Amino acid sequence: MIRNLFKILRLATRDYLYEWQMSLCFVLGLAAVLGPLLVLFGLKFGIVGAMMDQLIEDPGNHEIRPVGSGHYDRAWLESVREQPEVAFLVPRTRSIAATIELASEHSSRIVSVELIASASGDPLLASDTPLPEGLTRVVISRRTADKLAVKPGDVLDGSLARRYRGQQERVHLDLTVAAVAPEQAFSRDGAFVSVQLLEALEDFRDGRAVPELDWRGTQADAERSYPGFRLYARSIHDVAGLRDAFADVGVDVHTRVAEIELVQRMDRNLTVIYWVIAGIGLVGVSLSLGASLWANVDRKRKQLSVLRLVGYRTRDIVWFPIVQALFTAILGWALALSIYFATARVINVMMAAQVEAGQQVCLLLEVHYAIALALTCGAAVIAAGLAGMRSARIEPSEGLREL
Amino acid sequence: MATGSGHYPIYLLHDVVKKREAKGVAFRLKVPSLRIDRGEKIALIGESGSGKSTLLDMLAFVLQPSAVGAFRFRPEEGEDALDLDASWQRGNLNILGDMRKRHIGYVMQTGGLLPYLSVHDNINLSRSVLGLRLDGTVEHLAEMLGIADQLKKRPDALSTGERQRVAIGRALAHRPAIVIADEPTASLDPYAAQNVMSLFLGLADEFNSTVILASHAWYHIKSLGLRRLAHRTTRSKGSKLTETVVSG
Ligand SMILES: Nc1ncnc2c1ncn2[C@@H]1O[C@H](COP(=O)(O)OP(=O)(O)OP(=O)(O)O)[C@@H](O)[C@H]1O
Ligand SMILES: [Mg+2]
Repeated sequence: MIRNLFKILRLATRDYLYEWQMSLCFVLGLAAVLGPLLVLFGLKFGIVGAMMDQLIEDPGNHEIRPVGSGHYDRAWLESVREQPEVAFLVPRTRSIAATIELASEHSSRIVSVELIASASGDPLLASDTPLPEGLTRVVISRRTADKLAVKPGDVLDGSLARRYRGQQERVHLDLTVAAVAPEQAFSRDGAFVSVQLLEALEDFRDGRAVPELDWRGTQADAERSYPGFRLYARSIHDVAGLRDAFADVGVDVHTRVAEIELVQRMDRNLTVIYWVIAGIGLVGVSLSLGASLWANVDRKRKQLSVLRLVGYRTRDIVWFPIVQALFTAILGWALALSIYFATARVINVMMAAQVEAGQQVCLLLEVHYAIALALTCGAAVIAAGLAGMRSARIEPSEGLREL
Repeated sequence: MATGSGHYPIYLLHDVVKKREAKGVAFRLKVPSLRIDRGEKIALIGESGSGKSTLLDMLAFVLQPSAVGAFRFRPEEGEDALDLDASWQRGNLNILGDMRKRHIGYVMQTGGLLPYLSVHDNINLSRSVLGLRLDGTVEHLAEMLGIADQLKKRPDALSTGERQRVAIGRALAHRPAIVIADEPTASLDPYAAQNVMSLFLGLADEFNSTVILASHAWYHIKSLGLRRLAHRTTRSKGSKLTETVVSG
């Protein structure tokens, strides 16, 4: 039985090759429908994907900022940080105290910068950039780096002043540039620094002693309290929930929930469009492929009847059109893929200037190719199988006497 | 006959009727009784449209009769006769196909060759479906039929007479017990027809096959020693019905 199946496969292959012009027409016909569809789908996927990535990954959309200033102690902040929806949290010191003047030997300018509390996992900093650390290592903004003409590894002179016991007092400290943050992380003059450094600077300004830096002053309080914090939710979908949780404990926060909801609605709508296109594509390809395969099996009915006349079984005969349909499906798919690759390349090169580096306007994943192949083969097998079954069901005599 | 004592029926038909109708024009073939023995050579002679192909198709199990009293088939002596009508009723076309594959060779009136196979593979088709090895039979047949030089060609590069000889080759290649030929020489000129017909009958003799042959040219059949089936066709003008009664 299996042997007869192999024979049918061989016969089908020989017929397919013998009728290569016909076969080529079917393959071209399929590729002509499938190729452009892949391109369309690739554009949808690429553009929507890039847009959604931008919206979803923009840290600003994840941010939760307390409104005004409060008194948050370390234990409470710690308990907030431990919630699974929270991706990143660092305490902030008073913003009036969170500035410093920076100077460099490469430039004559003195730049007053805002200090941003940071730590590992800061969503504003790329995960592979060196982090601000301890009392000496800082990450400065692009703008500041340009003004001071410094690069990572350079040493800056930081200085700040206070009025202490009626005297104006200024201290200096050396700060090493660990990295330069990209423009979109912070566009003004600023530096990402450790909480430890921020605390030291605030202590100095408040007239408290900082033993690590040999700054004198009064004894520090035992329990520190912070006026605010920087918090980022794990994803944009967690923001609303966190906001409500803060409201419950009386902490008023500012979020971009409204914008996020817009993004989410757009995501849903685009997904619908996406599936509509996919559905139309599936139906279109199936119908076009199915119709041509069906017609082809009808055309071959007499030959199939000859196979039945010499004694091939119905079940074997049905494989004949199925095998040929699979050839058409696989070759057509391969050709469509070549069309897609060529077109996508041209589009991506043309549009490269308009999108961010590494992003592609026309993009499909390997799983999409596999799905396209599976659907094409599925439609082919169904159409050819049904047509083959119909041919196998009519009496051989009828098929043989066909004109 | 090579085996057995000789005459036992391969086909036994009683009250088999096939009715065909299209656009109000009806045709009815009636077979009150028909017995064909092993080793017989039968000729079915009648004018065009008298139902020869219809009967042969039923005898080759590719056409289901409309009504059956009995339709028995016994390809080998000693085997039980098969009730083919039961297979038809059950829609079991595979049993019919298997019977045809093993015991019957069919030469069609025209065509029936696969265009994508060489002459050799077309002849070998009836053997390959049975899983028979290449043993020189194809070459021998081609030699006898005068198409030994054409074995590598495809059918579209053959003359009509050559194609008909390929069809005969295929019908005989698996050494079937029964060879059915539906006007195998219809599309040939009289001289070539005579030639192909005697080649066919000679080979059928060599292969010990029972022959059932349809032809409208009976004049050269007579000399070949075939048994002619009695057959009568009546046409009623008013009712647009043609009826043929065959028995033998
Ligand atoms: N599929 C069909 N539907 C309706 N009538 C048919 C069909 N096939 C054949 N007939 C009719 O049945 C009758 C017998 O046809 P058949 O082919 O058996 O004739 P034949 O004796 O083989 O003729 P020829 O010598 O021309 O081959 C014809 O009158 C034909 O019109
Ligand atoms: Mg006929």
